Amino acid sequence: MKKLVALVLSLAMMLSLTAAFAEEEVVTLTVSSIWSAETEANRAPFLKTLEEFEAAHPNIKLEVEWFEANAWKETGETLALSDSLPDVFYWNAGGVLWNLVGAGDILPLDEYLTDEIMARMEPGLLVDMTFDGKVYQLPYTKAASMMYCNTELFDKYNVKIPETWDELIAAVKTFRENGVTPMTVGGADQWPTNMYTDIIALRYAGDAACRAAYYKTEGATFMTQDWIDGVAAFKQLIDLGAFPEDAASLTRDESEVAYFAGEIPMYVHGQWFSGSLSPEMQQKVVAIKFPAVGKGYDNQYMGGAAEGFCVASYTEHPEEAFIACQFFAENLSKNGYIAGAGLPAWKYDFSAYTDLNPVMAMIKEATSTADSMLLWGNTALTGEDATLIGDTVYDVLTGEITPEQWCEDMETIFE
Amino acid sequence: MKRVLSNKWSIAVFVLPTVLFFTYIVIVPIFKSFYYSLLSEIPAKVGDQSEFVWFANYIKMFTPGRRNDFPGAVVNSLSYAALSVFIQLPFSLMIALILANGIKGESLYRNVFFIPVVISSVVISLLWQRIYKDLVPAVYEVLNLTVPKNGFLANKDTKLMAVFLPSLWQFVGYHMLLMYGALKSIPSDIIEAATVDGAGASRMALRIQIPMIKPMLKVCLSFSLIGSFKLFDTPWILLERANKQLPALSMYVEMFSNHKYSYASAQAMFIVFECLAFTVLLNILFKDRDDMVSRKGRRRHAA
Repeated sequence: MKKLVALVLSLAMMLSLTAAFAEEEVVTLTVSSIWSAETEANRAPFLKTLEEFEAAHPNIKLEVEWFEANAWKETGETLALSDSLPDVFYWNAGGVLWNLVGAGDILPLDEYLTDEIMARMEPGLLVDMTFDGKVYQLPYTKAASMMYCNTELFDKYNVKIPETWDELIAAVKTFRENGVTPMTVGGADQWPTNMYTDIIALRYAGDAACRAAYYKTEGATFMTQDWIDGVAAFKQLIDLGAFPEDAASLTRDESEVAYFAGEIPMYVHGQWFSGSLSPEMQQKVVAIKFPAVGKGYDNQYMGGAAEGFCVASYTEHPEEAFIACQFFAENLSKNGYIAGAGLPAWKYDFSAYTDLNPVMAMIKEATSTADSMLLWGNTALTGEDATLIGDTVYDVLTGEITPEQWCEDMETIFE
Repeated sequence: MKRVLSNKWSIAVFVLPTVLFFTYIVIVPIFKSFYYSLLSEIPAKVGDQSEFVWFANYIKMFTPGRRNDFPGAVVNSLSYAALSVFIQLPFSLMIALILANGIKGESLYRNVFFIPVVISSVVISLLWQRIYKDLVPAVYEVLNLTVPKNGFLANKDTKLMAVFLPSLWQFVGYHMLLMYGALKSIPSDIIEAATVDGAGASRMALRIQIPMIKPMLKVCLSFSLIGSFKLFDTPWILLERANKQLPALSMYVEMFSNHKYSYASAQAMFIVFECLAFTVLLNILFKDRDDMVSRKGRRRHAA
């Protein structure tokens, strides 16, 4: 009997010891984010998400490295070459994601994605995050290009907020005549210019043709009148002086300074821009869909689920990494929307929040009835094709090539 | 110690670690890059799918095409090299001569000219970015001049000069200091003798000082040429990434944005060959001159 008691006691001691050790076992995950700049609308929401994660998962320690978006894209691609991507990291969807998936860097998440988790996500957002039937990324936001109009300037110069292309041209002319630069764009960073060309081309060529071209589907072409007309329409804006004289040498940040100062009436940019608007500006700005051209594609949007979190395939803690990845996606979706930084990609009841960013609410409302959403050309295309669309759009902005030459240049991606 | 150093085996033992290290981090990568440059493009990390295409990547580099920027990039780097050799170096030499001949505040000027060399290229680039984007347009406005279309850094006629200027300016002090050091080490009796013989400042510079610092001029010339072909940091930051205007920039974009690893390796090899070729050329040029001078000297001596 004594022996039995001793055995039970020692077993109990061992169990409690292992339990104590198990409790103390902390897993460390490396994480990369792209919101290093204080001005990034998603920075505060992500910091809050990290705090929430630490409270909810004390046994998972996070080592977060902060980058600026472009710098992380390059760093991430370099790290992928040596199989040293962090456990959980931010990445774009579409072609750039496919590059890493093709190289075997990303963990498929299907094994961990339960029906219960899937039910909490907005439907239809995994299109550009799924390859060969496997999900490789979880979105934290839904993107959309919008046109931001500063109503104060529209009222001051008695200009109607444009709903059609002709009204847009009329607005540009009126503002110019009054010495106001009608629009802004950070040409030096290239991609902000794509925001304009993509949406204008979408209005002229439509979702199906643009999607086919950006995803290099068999038989797709840029050599159509619709594409030429689309780029020519952008050229028309440049020729009318819609953009600052030095737009091609401005970075996105520099280009937005004048908008924030209330000097620019119109700006086409992603939904995240609404999160950068000050509370006063939020009262003055309305976000509308890009003016109609009348070719039947006027309720189509550029955007979709273009950004999310991935798990590296070589992570030592795949389960914990998935937990972090899913937590970041879902909670940043909520925190981002509350902070006005992005549209939510996960279902959440926001009725308790009364002070939501009104501009973001407009975007949420407008995009909820969208006919379709298409990823931006420079996100859907990859590698040298993505560089080419950036380079060529920049050349159109600086006047070095014509719309026809742009189409010819872009056609080379099918060779 | 002398006995140890006169033994060739012991020299070999001392030098071996450095040689091995140098081979591993410099020589091996060059050969590896050359090997990659002969392969077809491969998806990242999937090594066994590539095949030998021999010099196809090199041919592609110089095949004319509206979107092939590389030949233009080489021409740009050559024009930058020309600017360095014909403007930057003479300017540095002029300052070095003025300072070495002794003026009031010599060390102050010397340090001031050297400051840009100490400052990081990133800081220099950001500084000049503000000069081009804010200061120069403001000055133009006061003078009632029109700023070039799209601004100095995006206008195709001005952007190269705008990019070259900060680099040229930055390294004037560097070459100046090298030349100044060489000038200062000319024995003072030679200078005194020339002065006694009635040589003026310009005669002294042309006949005594410049010929005597020729080895240093050669060093400056090599640094300047090689630096021109490798120029990367200042243009990269000034032009905000949107460019393939110089060989090193093109190589970087092809490698890290376009993922054309083999093609980028071919461009890297071209830069290596270009630097080597010009170094050899420089050596031949200077050697010929040296030989001519010494032959002339011998003939005069024999006569």
